[in-house]
Amino acid sequence: MWKYLVIFLAFLISSCSHEDPFNTDSANSYQSTYNPSDSGDFIIIGARVLTGTGEDYPSADVWISNNKIKSVGTDLNYPADMRLIDATGKWLTPGIIDIHSHMGVYSSPSLRSNSDGNEATDPVTPHVWAEHSVWTQDTQMPLALKGGITTFHVLPGSANLFGGRGVTLKNVWSRTMQGMKFPNAPYTLKMACGENPKRVYGNSNREPSTRMGNVAGYRKAWIQAEKYKEQRGVTRDLKLETLAGVLDGEILIQNHCYRGEEMAVMLDIAEEFNYKVTTFHHAVEAYKVADLLAKNNVCAAMWADWWGFKHEAFDMVWENVAIVDQANNATGCAIVHSDSPIGIQRLNQEAEKARSAGVRAGFDIPRSRAIQWITKNPAKALGILDEVGTLEPGKMADVVIWDQDPFSVYAKTEKVFIDGLIHYDHKDPSTPKPTDFELGLLKPGSDRL
Amino acid sequence: MKTLIFFFSLVFSLIVQGEGLLLKGGTVHTSDSEGVQKNTDIYIKDGKIIKVGKDLQVDASRVEDLNGKIVTPGFIAPYSQLGIVEIEAVAETRDDRSTVYSSGLSIVSAFNPHSTLIPYNLRGGITTALSVPSSSGLYSGLASSFSLSSSLEGSLISRDIALFGSVSSGEGSRAAKMLLLEDSLDVASRVIEANGWNDEKGLPSSSSYSSRDIIALKRVLSREIPLVVRADRASDILFLINFSIEKNIRLILRGGSEAWMVARQLAKTNTPVILEPINNLPGSFNQLGSRLDNAAILNKAGVKILIASHETHNSYLSRQAAGIAVSYGLPWDIALRAITSNVAEVFGLKKIGMIKEGYRADLIIWEKDPLEVSAFAQQIYISGRLMSSESRSTRLRDRYLNLD
Repeated sequence: MWKYLVIFLAFLISSCSHEDPFNTDSANSYQSTYNPSDSGDFIIIGARVLTGTGEDYPSADVWISNNKIKSVGTDLNYPADMRLIDATGKWLTPGIIDIHSHMGVYSSPSLRSNSDGNEATDPVTPHVWAEHSVWTQDTQMPLALKGGITTFHVLPGSANLFGGRGVTLKNVWSRTMQGMKFPNAPYTLKMACGENPKRVYGNSNREPSTRMGNVAGYRKAWIQAEKYKEQRGVTRDLKLETLAGVLDGEILIQNHCYRGEEMAVMLDIAEEFNYKVTTFHHAVEAYKVADLLAKNNVCAAMWADWWGFKHEAFDMVWENVAIVDQANNATGCAIVHSDSPIGIQRLNQEAEKARSAGVRAGFDIPRSRAIQWITKNPAKALGILDEVGTLEPGKMADVVIWDQDPFSVYAKTEKVFIDGLIHYDHKDPSTPKPTDFELGLLKPGSDRL
Repeated sequence: MKTLIFFFSLVFSLIVQGEGLLLKGGTVHTSDSEGVQKNTDIYIKDGKIIKVGKDLQVDASRVEDLNGKIVTPGFIAPYSQLGIVEIEAVAETRDDRSTVYSSGLSIVSAFNPHSTLIPYNLRGGITTALSVPSSSGLYSGLASSFSLSSSLEGSLISRDIALFGSVSSGEGSRAAKMLLLEDSLDVASRVIEANGWNDEKGLPSSSSYSSRDIIALKRVLSREIPLVVRADRASDILFLINFSIEKNIRLILRGGSEAWMVARQLAKTNTPVILEPINNLPGSFNQLGSRLDNAAILNKAGVKILIASHETHNSYLSRQAAGIAVSYGLPWDIALRAITSNVAEVFGLKKIGMIKEGYRADLIIWEKDPLEVSAFAQQIYISGRLMSSESRSTRLRDRYLNLD
């Protein structure tokens, strides 16, 4: 009884202690607690290195120092007693980044009790945050790690016009979401075009039930957000706080949008309310508006070949990614994403499907460029390119060693480093660390597999 | 009942006229015990493979020099809804489900040879597919096999060749599903033609079986067709194996996430398994033992495996799945058989799935290893006819390739 009273009093005191109870800045809450131990210094030598910056070294050394990339090159001057990892004959790439994942919010096993990705109770839910749903013990995460995924972005689903905030996580085992949270990565806001919102709400005779209803819904919300910006500090509104953050340029729009026409309309809405669309996701028809996307500096996140599961996914072409990449004199921003716990395990293969289709269509797309679709470009679209996405001095040492050309179906990762620490080693059966869920599951005395 | 129908008349109208086609100097993966034959010729006439060998001396009207390119049989999808689903979320384009019929649901009349999925998947390497209804419940219906020729009259290869079902989906006790499996077959075995089909004593009141449904079950009982059951948990699989012995039926397992745990029993009973090797998630409590080397373990134990894609629209991705199985220990030639000859053999598709004299000339010429994700079919032949590589998807591409 006393305990509860004390907690209650503490709550009252803490509530009163804020000078501005309506401070709209959520940035200081839910902070990342991810803090890797010191990796020390070591060099991975002799691998064929795709840096993500466009370089392709037939053989190079990668120097990692205190969790960061120190240097990449062929003639590194390192001390004789340096710890070496021989990767001769192997391939080395930056850690793979998936910009569209639902790991932790749609977990495996897939159960109703785990289905935490769509707050499908209202079409406008920018107040919900995917991170508050994340189950850190999702079995998909270590499987993705084996596929080279070092960073992934968890988005709410697409039932709503505004689905809520997305969160960028490092693919490390942790008891808490905060322990995985990518330090200082910007928040994102999931928006959805097309069939999903109008189906979910139209079926229960609510607005929106049409694509024009969708658009009216976005505009109405942005008008409220504009008004809120003027009155900020007077009252606090979780929904409008997120929308205002977009208008301030602090929260990045990740927009689920299949059709070319709809992408063009969404760009006009962004112009009307003066915000930026960072990325169109599931952009099956991006190839129809590739020039428009390149001109507006908008990325498109795409699958290599998924199609036909709904009408707006009917016009898929294998060359979609390549066409987006090559638009406007190869200034397009193409991303290969998964949206799938199967696909996330082999984004490298998806990139190769898209690359080879592009090459067959006559484009010159070397591996050194295609690797950017799953490293540099998603990092850029998530606002974390200064820290990951390429192998450049000062960046986080997120590095994957592959047993062979990662653009082959036969390629497997051998070692996956996150911030210079090894999280998967094909020779160490205790890696990746199994989730809590997997302990003693099939046999009491052992882990899942 | 005749289960195999060949449309010879149509085949004749499609083949190269004259004295046939000679494919010279290929790296030929025959998909049978011959394995790979280098620098080998294939002579095709009247839609069939007439001869396979080195330096064939034949008077062909057309000669194609392959310069060592890889030749494989056309791939066969062991599980798909090709021709009976156009867009998954558009109910009016789906003919793969019924609440009226269960085990008796035959989809032959619904098959659409002009479906856009057909030329698209042909381009990916599938020349033949089992089209399988996917009604929920214990029995989803009868599968038929089709050629992906887009031919209005000549697509059907063989009708109602296997009964598909599942014990692993949905809610309600699995025990009830196993009991219903047992009871429905028992009822079918008691029904004699003269007695009529409406004698369903012994089935729970919610189960309704038509004469078609009962007839399909009787065909399973007489071993005329196999029963293909989706099951993932090891204990379920073991139950089904024992059940198939007890009832003396031909069981094929589909799914089989935990099949590796009962590999010995599957091998001993010659129970083939249709796998989706790409699917390694513990996606449900029935699949906690999912693993990428399932195919390799089963093969090593002597189990015959068939490999399917995990999505109908990309049925051809069975070759990516096969490639993944290879990277996790399945021998390459076994992986090729798992998407060609094994499928034909297990489902009784005659003279399809191998490059062999007398076989249908369903062939693919590849620029590189067809299990690679970057591999592209350069030429595809169905019954000796060179197929178009166009699809709706390539038409869209061509329209938008050069925007500037």
